[in-house]
Amino acid sequence: MADALPFQSPQELMECLKSQKYIANNEIATILYLSQQLGKPVLAEGPAGVGKTELAKALAGASDRELIRLQCYEGLDESKALYEWEYAKQLLYTQLLRDKLQETLSSSESLKVAADRLAAEEDVFFSMRFLLQRPLLKAILSPEPTVLLIDEIDRSDAEFEAFLLEVLSDFQVTVPELGTLAAIHRPLVILTSNNTRELSEALKRRCLYLFIDYPSIDQELAVVRLKVPELNPKLARQAVELVHRLRTFDLRKSPSISETLDWAKALVTLNAHNLDDTTLETTLSVLLKHENDLARARRQLLSPPPGKRDIDLKRFQN
Amino acid sequence: MDKRIVEFVAALRAAGVRISLAESSDAFQAVDFLGVQDRELFRVSLRSTLVKDNSDLETFDNLFPLFFQAGSPPPLFNPSSELTPQEAEMLAKALRQFNDEIRKMLEKLMKGMPLNQSELQNLDQLVNQSNITDLRYQNWLARQMEQALKFREVRQAVQELMELLRQMGMNRQRVDQLRQMLQANQEALQEQLRQYASQRIAENMAQQSRRDRMDNLYNLPFHSLTEEDMHALRQEVRRLAAMLRTRVALRMKRARTGVLDVKATLRSNLKNNSVPFDIHHRDHTLKPRIVILCDISTSMRYCSELMLSLLGEVQDQISKTHAFAFIDHLEYITPLYIDNQPGEAIAKILRQMPSGHYNTDLGLCLDNFIDQYFDTVDSRTTFLILGDGRNNYNEPRTELFRDIARRSRYTIWFNPEPATLWGTGDSDMLKYQPHCKQVVQVSNLTQLASAIDHLLVSNFS
Repeated sequence: MADALPFQSPQELMECLKSQKYIANNEIATILYLSQQLGKPVLAEGPAGVGKTELAKALAGASDRELIRLQCYEGLDESKALYEWEYAKQLLYTQLLRDKLQETLSSSESLKVAADRLAAEEDVFFSMRFLLQRPLLKAILSPEPTVLLIDEIDRSDAEFEAFLLEVLSDFQVTVPELGTLAAIHRPLVILTSNNTRELSEALKRRCLYLFIDYPSIDQELAVVRLKVPELNPKLARQAVELVHRLRTFDLRKSPSISETLDWAKALVTLNAHNLDDTTLETTLSVLLKHENDLARARRQLLSPPPGKRDIDLKRFQN
Repeated sequence: MDKRIVEFVAALRAAGVRISLAESSDAFQAVDFLGVQDRELFRVSLRSTLVKDNSDLETFDNLFPLFFQAGSPPPLFNPSSELTPQEAEMLAKALRQFNDEIRKMLEKLMKGMPLNQSELQNLDQLVNQSNITDLRYQNWLARQMEQALKFREVRQAVQELMELLRQMGMNRQRVDQLRQMLQANQEALQEQLRQYASQRIAENMAQQSRRDRMDNLYNLPFHSLTEEDMHALRQEVRRLAAMLRTRVALRMKRARTGVLDVKATLRSNLKNNSVPFDIHHRDHTLKPRIVILCDISTSMRYCSELMLSLLGEVQDQISKTHAFAFIDHLEYITPLYIDNQPGEAIAKILRQMPSGHYNTDLGLCLDNFIDQYFDTVDSRTTFLILGDGRNNYNEPRTELFRDIARRSRYTIWFNPEPATLWGTGDSDMLKYQPHCKQVVQVSNLTQLASAIDHLLVSNFS
C-alpha cells in the first residue's frame, strides 16, 4: 500500500487546491496534508454551505483521483453503503446454466455425491461477479487511489456510524462468503457533518477534526473573484460586506458562501451596477431562505419608504 | 518538548476536553511530520488531532499560548545605563531614603531586570495558588502576586523618588523621562506576573484529575447542585443521552421479531421475480408517547431541566412528547422547548410564571390539564409527573389524577424525595401513589438516566 503521496507539503496542497478553484486557508491545507501523511480520515464540520463537500471535490481534482461519494441519510445500512449480492443476476445465471448443471450432476449415483459436486461449484455463484459494489467497497477495491467522501454523516443512524469504524480504521471489510478484502490503495477520506447530532467519541477519535467557519471578508472576496470573475470588483466587495453584515443579524439560517456565490451570479445576470434598494429587494431571496429572515433583513437593510415619513410629519403638524 | 505536550494534554483534559490516549499519540505523530519550527503548523497539528468538538476549540485556543509561547515577558528599559555619573550619584543618594524592600524593587526597576526564577518561586510560597484550577482566576492571582511584591507601595515610592530627584536639582525633563521608563518597566513586570499566574494555573490544571469530579456530579443530589455544577451537568447530559439513544436504538433493532410483513416482503422481492429472498417482519415495538408534567418551583427546577434535556435528546426514540410546566398553574411548553435549549425554555417559562413563596398547586393544575389538554392523553400515552408531591396543603384532587391515570397506558411519578419523606408535612405523595403504576425516586443524574432508560423499555412489552 506504499502509494506515492500526491502532496509533498501543505503549501503544495494549497496551490493545487487553488488551481481547482478552491481557496483553502493554512489550517485546511495543513490538516489535509496531515490526513494524507497519517492515513487518517478528516472530519469536516461547520455551518451548511461553507464548502465542506466542495473541499472533497477539489481535493479529488487536485490529487487527480476519482471521487467516490457516499451520501448518508436516515436508514442507510450496510447493503446500501458497502455491498449487496445480486440475487437477480444469480437467479438468471442459474436458469441459463441449468443444462450445464444437469450435465454435471447427472453422472452422480447418489444424492450425497450430487450435493458434494454442487458444493464444489458454489464458488461460482458467490464470487466478485455477483457482488454489487457500493461506494465503500468501491473505494476499497479500486485499483486506482481514490478520494472517498462520506457526506453528512450526522444524518445516518448510530449503528451505521459504528459499522464505519472498522472500515475507517483498517480500510478492510469482511464479506462472509469471500473473506476479508483489504484496500489496495488507502483512499483519502473526508467525512462531513452539519452537527445536527453528536457523533460518537469512537468515530471522532479516528478522525482529524477540521472546523470550517464562515470566512473573513478578504477570503470570501477572493472566493467570489475566483468563481464569479465577471462581477465587477467594487460591487463584489460591497456584496461580500453586505453578506457579512447579514451574518451578524440573528437569523434562522445565515447566508453561507454558496449563497454568496449564487447571489454574485444573480447580480451578474441582472447586470447590476450597484447595490441599490431595488436590486436588493429583488435579489435578497437568493441569500435568505426563510420568510422571517427576509422580513427582518428588509427591515434592517432597506430604509423605510419616504411616503410613510410624510404621513408622520403631517400628523405632527396638525 | 514531549513532556510539555503531555502536560498540555493533561491541562486540556482538566478543562473538560475529552482526549483519549489514541488521540494524544496521534498528536505526537502529527508533530513528528510537521515539526515544531513553524508555530502555526504546530498549533494546527495539535488542534486537529486533540480537539474533536466545536465547543472545545475555544478552550484549546485559550490554553495553547500558555504552554507554547516563547515565554518572554515584554522587554524592559534600562534607564540607569543612560544616566550621567552625576545623576547616578543623585539617584543613589535618593534611594537611601527608602527601606530595604522597596529599595530593592526600585533598583530592579532602574536596571530593568525581569523577575528571575527563584523570585517567582518565592512568590509561590507567599501566594497560595495550588488549588486554583480555573483560568478565570488569572487576573485575581496576578493581583495577589503584585500585592505580595508590594506593587502599590513601589508605585508610590517611584513618585516620591522623582520628587526627591527634582529637589536635588535634576533636570525636569530627565526626571519625566525617567518616570516614564520606570512606569513602563513596572507594567512589563505586571505582564510577566500575569503570564506566570496563568502558567501556574495551567500546571495546576494539568495535575488535577477530572474523573472523580464527574463521578461525583453524577451522584450529587439535585437539591445541592450549584449553577456551576449544573453547567457541567448540561454538557454531560448530552453524552448520557447519546448513550441512552444508542442503547434504545439497538434494543429496537433486536426486538424486530414480529409477524411476517407480507406487503413489504413482496415489494422488496419484486426484483427477484417475487421469490422471497428478503423476508420483512413487522416491527412490534411501539415508540412511547409521552405527556410530562414538570414541577418547576425552586426546589425542582434543576431536576426538571435535566429531565427535559434528556427527553429532548432522545426525541427520535419517542413518537410524541407533550411537555407541561406547572407551579401554581399549568403552561404548555412543548413549542418553547423544541425551539430552545431546555434551560432557556425553563428560564422563559419562569418569566411568565414567577415562582412565589409556597404556591405550588398540583390540584389546580390537574384541573387545568383536564379542561384544556385532556385530548393529549390516550391509551398509548405514558403519563409522567416530575414533582415532589408537596402541595402546600392545597386540595390534591386525586379523583382527577385517577381519571388521567386510567386513560393513559402508564402513569409514572418521578420524585426526588426519598420514600421515607412521602406523606410527611404537606406531601400528598401517598395519596397519589395508589394511582401510579410506578413511583421512582430520582434524586441524582444516575437515577434519572436509569429511570428514563426504564421508561423506554417498559413500552416495548
